Amino acid sequence: MVTLTIQDLLPYNTNKPNKKVDMDAILPFLILPLLLLVATISRAITIIVMVVIGMGALYVLSRPRQKNRSPFFYSWTLSSALYMFLIFEIGILGLLEITQLENFIFLLLLTCTCYFFYKMKAVADFELATGSSKGKEYSPVLTSDSHYCQICQIEVNERFFHSIWWDCCVLKPNYGYFLVGQLLAFATLLFGTNLGLTSVCQPFILYGTILMPEDCDDVYYEFNMALCFVTCVYGVGYLFVIFLVLLHQLLIYIPKYSEPQWRKLINVFNV
Amino acid sequence: MRHAWKRNILCCGIFIVMLIIFLHPDMNARRSYEYIEKNDILSNLFEKTAENFTSPAVLHCEYHNLLFDDTTLSISLVDGDLVEGHKIKEGGEYSPSECKPRFSTAIIVPYRNRAEQLRGFLVYMHTFLHHQCIHYRIYVVEQLDSRMFNRAKLLNIGALAAMRSGYPCLILHDVDLLPLRPGNLYACTKQPRHMSSSINKFRYVLPYLNVFGGAVAIASNQYKAVNGMSNEYFGWGGEDDDFYARLEAKGLKMSRFEPETSRYHMVSHKSQHKGSGRQKLKVAKERMASDGLNSLTYTEIATVLHPLFTHIMVDL
Repeated sequence: MVTLTIQDLLPYNTNKPNKKVDMDAILPFLILPLLLLVATISRAITIIVMVVIGMGALYVLSRPRQKNRSPFFYSWTLSSALYMFLIFEIGILGLLEITQLENFIFLLLLTCTCYFFYKMKAVADFELATGSSKGKEYSPVLTSDSHYCQICQIEVNERFFHSIWWDCCVLKPNYGYFLVGQLLAFATLLFGTNLGLTSVCQPFILYGTILMPEDCDDVYYEFNMALCFVTCVYGVGYLFVIFLVLLHQLLIYIPKYSEPQWRKLINVFNV
Repeated sequence: MRHAWKRNILCCGIFIVMLIIFLHPDMNARRSYEYIEKNDILSNLFEKTAENFTSPAVLHCEYHNLLFDDTTLSISLVDGDLVEGHKIKEGGEYSPSECKPRFSTAIIVPYRNRAEQLRGFLVYMHTFLHHQCIHYRIYVVEQLDSRMFNRAKLLNIGALAAMRSGYPCLILHDVDLLPLRPGNLYACTKQPRHMSSSINKFRYVLPYLNVFGGAVAIASNQYKAVNGMSNEYFGWGGEDDDFYARLEAKGLKMSRFEPETSRYHMVSHKSQHKGSGRQKLKVAKERMASDGLNSLTYTEIATVLHPLFTHIMVDL
């Protein structure tokens, strides 16, 4: 008998089920579609909903890191990915304006993204279980450029951090996966939102077969189109966040910005 | 060990099934399709002018340069006005005076309730068609009653009127479509031609291979041979697929020009009510003999010759 549950397939599984934790993990799967549905009413409400989501994210970032210890954020990432994917595959492809090649490229990018994030989490879990990162690289006595991750309860180097949105520590062994995953997520979202927006809006030819959305005035007349449009706008928001994360990672490697006064400023984007 | 192995296999299985589901083998939107090469267009054209049409010019018009014209017309033409001295006869008929046209075309536009759009369409189309050195006339067929819009029946009515005036070629044209390339010659090819195969609203792709709506060119005798379009499709959708099924039943193959030439701009508007034509579509070929031009019944309210178009007003 093959006795496998979804839990086994996920790299991260809690063996101690907790009522409150479960609730936190499920909430995003209910809140996000609700927000997206509300946003389909009109253009003004779309803007309001997107601003509210943005403010919520800023509020979470402004809180002390230890307080954000909840699976809510990881669930939010998963639910965002899931809903955007479903809307793309069912809603936007249903408009019959995406060629099979475009869909295939999208799926390929998405698969790669999922693989890298899966590896990132798997490596982090492995590190957490074995604690091998406390070896040579990490001295037991905290040095000036390393600190203790309260959430994972392991010591992390200053350049690395705990990501609440992935519910794991990004350490030296999985930093590569994290970076490539972010890059691929950026590419997937860019491609997906471009396909989506050019489908629901009037596009114009930018160059060759590359289209850009131009006129999105008549998307709210039909619920289907409005939902696709709103999800694409949400995707563009996500794209912007990923862009900031990548920019932050880039800035770290420029020596000038590694100085303490800059570091404080940049580390806001340690998501 | 055994557990991990099973898990991997299960993962792979789920992944492959998901991939097949999400690759949508049933959806075949495409950007490329079979088309008539530019060099072969002239030999594929159906050359005939209207029965009672005579041109005072001596020389025949040349179309080679037009077909290889790579320019794109500006959409802002719809906001402008026609230039003075456009020589368009009452009823929206025009023929070039400097040469003898080889083609006569009746452009039939089903219409209801979009006065501003119609104005833009007429100005744009007359400007566009003036470049083409063809003899043409624009028929606008308006549905006056309050039933759901019946595009196919309106086209049948327009086609009958055009055929009575002796036009050998019909172009069935939606009012929201504007051709962008002068090289998209508004004449019939020997096989029925789907003209609007690259519409901006549809990301310049064909939603499916056999789509035959939007703007279509078909010779009058072929239109008669398939008994026109079905009169039963009220509401949006279905009638174009029905029409294609009729062509197929008569062994007529559809042709197209290349995507770059066939570019169209779709004027944005609210979506219409969807009709329930999908069930009718299954028996399209059986209904062909009894439903169409020969079963066309309607009340003609008036036919008015406006300066830019012939206006046929009907109750269905």
